[in-house]
Amino acid sequence: MASGMQEKQFTPCLLSFFIYNPTFGPREGEEEKKILFYHPNDVEKNEKIRNVGLCEAIVQFTRTFCPTKPAKSLHTQKNRQFFFEPEENFWIVMVVRNPMIEKLNKDGKPPTVEYQEEEILDTVYGAVVRQCYSMYKLFNGTFTRAMEAGGVEMLIQKLEKFFYRYLQTLHLQSCDLLDVFGGISFFPLDKMTYLKIQSFVNRVEESLSLIKYTAFLYNDQLIWSGLEQDDMRILYKYLTTSLFPRHSEPELAGRDSPLRPEVAGNLLHYGRFLTGPTNLKDPEAKFRFPKIFVSTQDGYEELHLIVYKAMSAAACFMISASVELTREFCEKLDGLVGPQLTLLASDICEQFTINRRISGPEKEPQFKFIYFNHMNLAEKSTIHMRKTASVCLTSVHPDLMKILGDINCDFARVDEDEEIIVKAMTDYWVVGKKSDQRELYVILNQKNANLIEVNEAVKKLCATQFNNIFFLD
Amino acid sequence: MSDEFYLELSENPVQFENASSVNNVFFDEANKQVFAVRSGGATGVVVKGPDDKSSVAFRMDDKGEVKCIKFSIGNKILAVQRTAKSVDFINFIPDCPHTEFTQECKTKNANVLGFCWTNWNEIVFVTDQGIEFYQVYPDKRSLKLLKSQSINVNWYQYCPETAVILLSTTVQGNVLQPFVFKNGTMSKMSKFEIELPVVPKPAKLNLSERDIAMATIYGQLYVMYLKHHSRTANSPSAEVVLYHLPREGACKKSHVLKLNTTGKFALNIVDNLVVVHHQSSRTSLIFDIKLKEPEGAVNTHQPVLPARSIHPYRIPLAGPAVVPTQPPVSCQLYSSSWSVFQPEIIISASEGKDTSSWYLQVKLPPTVNLLQDKGKLMDFLLRRRDCKMVILSVCSQMLEGGGENGNLPVVATVFDKLNQVYKEYLEAEQSNPAAMESGPSRGSAAQKRPIITQAVIDQSDMYTHVLSSFTEKKGVSHKFIIAVLMEYIRSLNQFQITVQHYLYELVIKTLVQHNLFYMLHQYLQYHVLSDSKPLACLLLSLESTYPPAHQLSLDMLKRLSTANDEIVEVLLSKQQVLEALRFIRSVGNHDNVSARKFLDAAQQTGDQMLFYTVFRSFQQRNQRMRGSPAFNPGEHCEEHVQHFVQLFGDQSLLKPSTV
Amino acid sequence: MSQSSLVAMESVGAQRATATWENGSLAPLDHLRSERADSPTPGLVEGTEPGAGQQSAMFVHSQSFEDLTADAEDKTESKNSEEECEGKLDELVEEEAIEEQCNNMSLESRSREEDVSSEAWRSHKKHVFVLSEAGKPIYTRYGTEEALSSTMGVMMALVSFVEAKKNIIRSIHADGCKVVFLTRSPLVLVGVSRTWQSDKELLRELQYIYYQIVSLLTLTQLNHIFQHKQNYDLRRLLAGSEYLTDNLLHRLDRDPGLLLSAVTCLPLPSSARDVVSSSLQAAKSKNLVFSILLAGDRLVTLVRKKDQFLHHIDLHLVFNLVGSSSSFREGEGWTPICLPKFNTAGFFHAHISYLEPTSELCLILISTDREDFFNMSDCKQRILERLSKRSAYQTMKEALQCPSYSVVQVGIPELRHFLYKSKSSGLYTSPQFPEVYQSDQEQERLMGLYQDLHSFLHHPSRPLRSFYRCGETENLLAQVTSGFELYLCFSPLGTKALADSAVIKLLKWIRKEEDRLFILNPLTY
Repeated sequence: MASGMQEKQFTPCLLSFFIYNPTFGPREGEEEKKILFYHPNDVEKNEKIRNVGLCEAIVQFTRTFCPTKPAKSLHTQKNRQFFFEPEENFWIVMVVRNPMIEKLNKDGKPPTVEYQEEEILDTVYGAVVRQCYSMYKLFNGTFTRAMEAGGVEMLIQKLEKFFYRYLQTLHLQSCDLLDVFGGISFFPLDKMTYLKIQSFVNRVEESLSLIKYTAFLYNDQLIWSGLEQDDMRILYKYLTTSLFPRHSEPELAGRDSPLRPEVAGNLLHYGRFLTGPTNLKDPEAKFRFPKIFVSTQDGYEELHLIVYKAMSAAACFMISASVELTREFCEKLDGLVGPQLTLLASDICEQFTINRRISGPEKEPQFKFIYFNHMNLAEKSTIHMRKTASVCLTSVHPDLMKILGDINCDFARVDEDEEIIVKAMTDYWVVGKKSDQRELYVILNQKNANLIEVNEAVKKLCATQFNNIFFLD
Repeated sequence: MSDEFYLELSENPVQFENASSVNNVFFDEANKQVFAVRSGGATGVVVKGPDDKSSVAFRMDDKGEVKCIKFSIGNKILAVQRTAKSVDFINFIPDCPHTEFTQECKTKNANVLGFCWTNWNEIVFVTDQGIEFYQVYPDKRSLKLLKSQSINVNWYQYCPETAVILLSTTVQGNVLQPFVFKNGTMSKMSKFEIELPVVPKPAKLNLSERDIAMATIYGQLYVMYLKHHSRTANSPSAEVVLYHLPREGACKKSHVLKLNTTGKFALNIVDNLVVVHHQSSRTSLIFDIKLKEPEGAVNTHQPVLPARSIHPYRIPLAGPAVVPTQPPVSCQLYSSSWSVFQPEIIISASEGKDTSSWYLQVKLPPTVNLLQDKGKLMDFLLRRRDCKMVILSVCSQMLEGGGENGNLPVVATVFDKLNQVYKEYLEAEQSNPAAMESGPSRGSAAQKRPIITQAVIDQSDMYTHVLSSFTEKKGVSHKFIIAVLMEYIRSLNQFQITVQHYLYELVIKTLVQHNLFYMLHQYLQYHVLSDSKPLACLLLSLESTYPPAHQLSLDMLKRLSTANDEIVEVLLSKQQVLEALRFIRSVGNHDNVSARKFLDAAQQTGDQMLFYTVFRSFQQRNQRMRGSPAFNPGEHCEEHVQHFVQLFGDQSLLKPSTV
Repeated sequence: MSQSSLVAMESVGAQRATATWENGSLAPLDHLRSERADSPTPGLVEGTEPGAGQQSAMFVHSQSFEDLTADAEDKTESKNSEEECEGKLDELVEEEAIEEQCNNMSLESRSREEDVSSEAWRSHKKHVFVLSEAGKPIYTRYGTEEALSSTMGVMMALVSFVEAKKNIIRSIHADGCKVVFLTRSPLVLVGVSRTWQSDKELLRELQYIYYQIVSLLTLTQLNHIFQHKQNYDLRRLLAGSEYLTDNLLHRLDRDPGLLLSAVTCLPLPSSARDVVSSSLQAAKSKNLVFSILLAGDRLVTLVRKKDQFLHHIDLHLVFNLVGSSSSFREGEGWTPICLPKFNTAGFFHAHISYLEPTSELCLILISTDREDFFNMSDCKQRILERLSKRSAYQTMKEALQCPSYSVVQVGIPELRHFLYKSKSSGLYTSPQFPEVYQSDQEQERLMGLYQDLHSFLHHPSRPLRSFYRCGETENLLAQVTSGFELYLCFSPLGTKALADSAVIKLLKWIRKEEDRLFILNPLTY
């Protein structure tokens, strides 16, 4: 809004990220022992200790008023700190600098900095911290497990190893409501094709009885998960924001006609491993797969994660980590799954295009919306263009995105159906609907519409996009 | 081993005295009657039909040796041939002159080879020079020539079912001329030539009548030619060649059945299967010409099953001579004294005993183990009579095994085969409901009906005889159970057959049993379990164990779009009175709902604010509709008005003036 | 001068919010005043909305919400006013002034004995703590300062730790509980809330508390004290005045005026009101700056010196002072009071008395001279005499019988309650609570909802034009334009169509009633 050619805008950024356990260095002078991980590492020791100290103090202080509910965030002029205690006495803290505007002064005075304190949404970054932990847990199990396995040293090692890489993949400036939901985008599919996939999965699991769970995705969208919801949620996050983007080469979404020349030569077999051996022929090939931890009734189990892809169809096979995976197995899997998956992929693609033709061509919808269902974590957004690890492009002004966030917070307060319709200063209309565990957010660019017209527009949207669910008006 | 005999002879055969110098025996394929003519009939003629009731006995004067004797259809008129020139007739119609009358064949110096009844009063003489088609006037005791055709005939065959006479002509006898007879008319069908393995020089009759048989298979008339191997032509083993004889058009060589052996053979047709008996090995082979997709003009078939002997048979001793203690004698199968008639009759005149005639029958159960390829087995079984229970037991067996390797694909194919037929049945039903009222489940009954040629295994059969018990099974992994159910549903969907509710119930029951709620959720998400009120209710009942079921069920009711009342009830049951009212408003009939219902619900919640809200909104409604906020006495809301006043005082009751 | 500086400051504060308005508040008002549409539309220009004053308004009318939350404000303002005051006002007051004032207040002792480690104490909806920069307890809403000295010590530690990093602590958030910090040297205020109020709302309330304390001591005084003695125990000076803070906190939870930065009037036919005003106007005196006539919490009229504006915050502090004590009924009160929005440096002196012992009508005459008691007393007499001759006096007394009106009169079905604020006049109107909101907690709940709407509309970085919420217990609609703020509460079964049409309907009705509900002709001496 300010006319500043002399202004410089800075987006929020990660100042520091650390994990500590107050019980590890109770006595004077031992404080350093509490710190299990600290980023950036080059911070001077006492500084680290001081910052951890502040967090402890905040947490302690908050307890005097609500012993049961721990502190979640600290707001200051320059930054926000987010606290999360995933396991007893283990605290994860993320410090994010508020976005700021640097006004360069003429006459050589040092630039004046104006912090924008209301730009960061607690819910969004709180979710980001929780996600960090879930992701660690997916690949390493709980902190406690590491402790049991090899004491603090082991834990520190694992944390270093994991977060050193993971933190670089955080893109705080592009976090938004979708991170709060941590939803799963499901691939729309007709019943018949879906059943075909079902029987594919069943047959594979039957003939390769080692396989314990299977998940099936197409175009980075989920179609079937044999894992429980919460495990799938984080695995999905990993696949779609980390693994798939790394492997997206020539065959990109949609381009699924098996008639295109293939390196392997075999037109009916496009399958390949995204995890494990890159080339089965290679005599040197290693048959090691990433291990993941998923929950069971009694604790968790450790599994090999095999991700196998043919064109846009990807199947994840999970096998108990206790068994050794051999070349023979992988070849068998490749031989069995490759052709079937290839066939399915083109089937799905075909079906999809047919359905699309029926439903009419994808015209830019006049309203942008985000939909989320807490019951099955289903997520749908016409605001985000293909959210990848690196960037999340949204097609609307960040302020509007934040208004969505504000409305979402309001919904989160109480567990009742609610609807909110606001008109922003920019004359955009923003509608939030919450109906039995479902949330829908719509942004309308109908500047001189009134409440009624806006309501009609949303009704129309629901009729076209959500006519198959019970959505209270 | 014994359960490997897939062919058997019928119970209690027709028995009669052996042929002898004084006793001539004849068999009439048309009426399936055996004639025992003792001393030319003077000492009596005994006629035994397929069942004992239909046996007849009479006497006739001995006017010389009987060459051939047959009843017209319905035993109305008896025709007897004694000479080469003429045929004699005797009325068997009550109050008709019984004295015989005779008909000479019209063609000069032709010899009557034989005759056949094409109707109760129509008869065809076959002479060595042609055929003559007569109508018989029993009352006038005379015949009228309807049509005749002169042509050299070596021998002939008659197919009663289709009323087609086949004449062997030309010197080699391998050019066959069929005629078809239909109430009073005789029409010539296109003739055709049987290609012989070797053409003898000089030409002489080469095609023996024993090597030709006619029968209808799958409703089509075929001429079957038993082609013996010949050293010269490189046909290492004998084969049966089937010529298709269509009503119109030319006859075509259509199937070749490979016998893979040589020797003496005999043919039967049982349940649309071609049965080939091989005497020397005392075994029989069966062929099903539909068992494989046509590959072209001529299809070559291998036996469906390995060769097996007919099930051993013991003849119960009949007649006065029976000594109780004497055990039934096992009869010798494939004996040289056997003669085989179409379609499925076997007559054995083993010396020393009476002659007996059987029907040949196929036993399905043994075939199950002999035919490994389950898909093929289904194709085979589905075309057989009374196959339903066999098929169902095959399915149960197949699932017994649980999920050992590669079982699912088999299961899938079997389901697809069954549902393919199921679908065809349903479509037929669509186009012609009348033909079906007996329903598919009584398959055999349905089979008699014109368009149903096959048994049908529908969902309820599958459910009651296979799936329900299978899902109960201990020790079968739930993974497999669910996989199977999904396969079945998949298959039904593939043939666009609407899945019945009880199948969904079964799926849900199984999933719930193993706490696989997330799976259930995903199935519903993709509408694999299609919407219905019962299903929605079932989901509601799950809410306590799986809360999301509530949402799922509401969605379903919403999609049904005929369940608004149910939705309101659901909401009210959860004390969501406002939601209920808002919903009703959204579907646009809030003006005519019962105020009482909602006021009750609101009052029960004990939430004063809520009660106020609901009460007020109904007052507003009354105002809108009747110009007064008061409730009609008919609405029975007095207590609610009281309650309201009690809570908020009557000054807060809307007054007509204030609005 | 103080005014101009305030206005300037205001437009800075309001810049964000007003940047996009077609007809911002910067348009010259006077020539617009003429056009007062009978059917006002939300688009109308500031000054022409229903309830806008005819001549210049009686308040410093400003985006007072921003006033309260803008940090820059105090320095600028106090500086300005200090310079300005020197001539007009007495030199700095000395201790006894305060003593004197405190004595004037009947020391109602509050039952503060509470176990500060008990669940009961913790689960209070809103705690407020005031401490000195040395971490010494000055005030706590619940429990005793002594018992809480260590806690307050921690608070101060946190504040200074963050300060040490050239940073400022704002708030701590836990599920359903937040802690807000406000540093107003030499004081630190901390609020702990279990409500859903936004940080900004809570800060606003802490500001009020800060001003309340300043109004007792003057800022100059405060600074002076702590400069001399860093860990001075301020309670010595405030002893006996805590109930004022308690009471103010109570008002903050219930009085829309403090939320809207506006005051509401006693409904009165303008004819009668004008008579009353003129009677006040007639009784002038050299040092008399403001004459205020109250009926309970409702303003009847206010007459002021030319160029002297009373800020609504100051007015609310006066209301609080009057409303908190029954002592003034016993006769004429004379008490020093600092009006911090006017001038944080010095004291005014307020003559407080009821027109009749039993009546609700309270007259406040504010003078700059602490020796002015008898002049003021004399003014009061003149006012009384003049009034008693006029029938308007009777009309006014009758008006006291029904100090409010029912929402039913507006004639919008399913409308339950509303708040309407005319920005230019700084006055608001609102019907009495309907039956369903009779209980205290229901009324506070409703206030809470209005606070929600308010903080949504006035979000510091994402302000909104309008906000509609359809919920389980009510449907709410809030709108803000350059001219007014409007908050409507409907039945949860009310439709959007209804809400949409209600705005216009209500504006019409208020226009119709405005001369009864608002003070359209404020007077000066």
